[in-house]
Amino acid sequence: MAAPNYDVLIIGSGASGGIAAFTLTKKGIKCLMLDAGPPIDFERNRVSRPVWELPYRGLGKPGRLEHVFQANEYNANQWVDEQQVPYTHDPNEPFNWVRVRFVGGKSLFWSRMSFRFSDYEFKGKDHDGFGDNWPVSLADLAPYYDQVEPIFRVRGRKEGLKQLPDGNFIEDTTSWSPAVQKFIAEAGKRDIPVTKIRSSLGRGPLASSLNLLLPDAMATGNLTIVPNAVVREITVDKNTGRVNGANFLDRHSRREMHAKAKVVVLGASCLESTRILLNSGLANSSGMLGHYLHDQFYITQSVQAVIPEVRDKTAPAGYASGAGYIPRFRNLQTRERDFLRGYAFDFNAGGTPDPKFFPLYGKALDEALETHRGSGFTGTCMGEVLPRFENHVRINKDVTDAWGIPVLHFQVRYGANELNMAKDAINTMAELCRACGWEVLARNNQPLPPGYSIHELGTCRMGDNPRTSVLNKWNQSWDIKNLFVVDGSSFVSGGSQNPTMTILALSMRASEYLAEQMRKGDI
Amino acid sequence: MKRRRFIQALAAAPAAPVLLAQQSQSSPAAAADNAEPAALELSVADEAADPAPRFFSARQFATLRRLCDLIVPGAQGSPGALEAHVPEFLDFLIGDSPIDRQQLWLTGLDALEHESQTRFRKPFADSDAAQADALLAPLRQPWTSDTPADPVARLLIAAKQDVRAAAFNSFERNLAASGGKIRRTGGGLYWLPLE
Repeated sequence: MAAPNYDVLIIGSGASGGIAAFTLTKKGIKCLMLDAGPPIDFERNRVSRPVWELPYRGLGKPGRLEHVFQANEYNANQWVDEQQVPYTHDPNEPFNWVRVRFVGGKSLFWSRMSFRFSDYEFKGKDHDGFGDNWPVSLADLAPYYDQVEPIFRVRGRKEGLKQLPDGNFIEDTTSWSPAVQKFIAEAGKRDIPVTKIRSSLGRGPLASSLNLLLPDAMATGNLTIVPNAVVREITVDKNTGRVNGANFLDRHSRREMHAKAKVVVLGASCLESTRILLNSGLANSSGMLGHYLHDQFYITQSVQAVIPEVRDKTAPAGYASGAGYIPRFRNLQTRERDFLRGYAFDFNAGGTPDPKFFPLYGKALDEALETHRGSGFTGTCMGEVLPRFENHVRINKDVTDAWGIPVLHFQVRYGANELNMAKDAINTMAELCRACGWEVLARNNQPLPPGYSIHELGTCRMGDNPRTSVLNKWNQSWDIKNLFVVDGSSFVSGGSQNPTMTILALSMRASEYLAEQMRKGDI
Repeated sequence: MKRRRFIQALAAAPAAPVLLAQQSQSSPAAAADNAEPAALELSVADEAADPAPRFFSARQFATLRRLCDLIVPGAQGSPGALEAHVPEFLDFLIGDSPIDRQQLWLTGLDALEHESQTRFRKPFADSDAAQADALLAPLRQPWTSDTPADPVARLLIAAKQDVRAAAFNSFERNLAASGGKIRRTGGGLYWLPLE
């Protein structure tokens, strides 16, 4: 019996592929989903283990996941093995490509921060003249944000900020601790807004494609999922020039297979989708494929402050606790001298500063840690990275992965705009802490290597012009009508907000468009 | 101190039920003896053998031991880095590390020893508290994100982090913290290797 010719082949099962399947299958469209990883079984794949029984006492096997700063000895096996799927870069220009290959993708492990983009991102060029506008606006995407937020059960508080549009929230009714109220008051004096964290609650232990999207898609009877399917390339009908499926390898046996479909939707993650297209030699008449790679620069523990009232035991219990978010506030009404765009912070109060920040060792350090327990305040800085043509990935034909597929070579670096922005961010946060009467123990204005945020974006950018973009405003290839790319690679710019809600909204919008085109017989 | 680990009985191994089934077929009388075999009590290597350091030279290892003792000294009821066998563990860890990390430790330990000889005319391993404190001055500097050029400062920053982690995550430290009745269940969720 010949294998079916599916209506749509979806490559990737994370947030973008998951919402595509969720949307298309409900409209009666038969979908085949391929994922390079296995199905996950939290009960079987994880065991409880004391740290001293780990071979490296929790410090991890040296050199195993050199680029994955998020890895530790407990979770090392959840990340893609860098020896199995390598990539290359100049040693002086590292890129931290952090990957997951499971059914459900990175949505199994994401931070759940759930924000909308604003027209400061979608129409950034109109605002400051840099780069390109997106071919869509907030008004175009708002109806889709409205739909995906309830699915992921986003909790937040409506703030009425133009740069951080409100969403379809489960109302956050929690109060601020006194220390954070003090911080908000000082920020307010400087016109710096502070909001509650906006976060996906999900259901049960997960806020993932695995539990929120794929089960509904499967229940329609229109979804077939094949795990352990490592896609080598998308295939093309030579007579029509249209894509007609994909060649893939079984992860275990390396057996080569071909899946047939009338339409291909790529949602394999920004850089894996780009890699598949580059290895397929498709969708690149513009020459833009792989270019404009950007993310958000991150500085964790950017400022470490100490709240003296807690340290000195003069404050009541619960004085310093809780987390909050500072959305972008730079370059909105005014223009900064030495950088474009802006940055955000998430912060938390009530932790204990990392031992590395104390200029002590031995017994004196232990005593200081005990004294400072619960008195910390720190924030992670997340800054917009300007999309630039020269920051790109290309295929390195000299290196292949464990399945013989050529790997990516990265050429990415942050520029003066990012570094100047980082300095301003840290100066501002340190000033706020001091204004609160807190002691600044340490400050750090060095961004982590590009890629650390796991928010890589932009390498299949959308646009209004087929000469300067890979996709049109429907996430559809300019070159090949029945090829769509629905993950973060379609972004034109990244803002300082976490991108997952925007990926979901874009993918749902593209999927509805695709379904309508298929209904009309235009695809 | 003894360090024992109990594992499931052999009956949990896939081959065991098959063998037992074969035995019962060949001998009906054996059915009465078809009880699960007694659990074997197994030990980890640390309780039966001493670590055999092989990466650092004898002098570097002596320097490392003194450094570990300074960073995490022992106290009543709280084993220090030496009792937690941190020097031996670091010999293994650094010896298993990429070359740049190895170089940081090798050059750093040599530089620390050289500085001790130059300033106090004695090995760092024999330094008294005041001398050692003087040599560890970089650890009393305010934290900075810049990597220092001085090999001793680079070593000390790395050592502060690694020695503390290795000591605090050690069996000895956790046993002491639990009052000698350590729980063998619990801890973090460890991801098993995928097939």
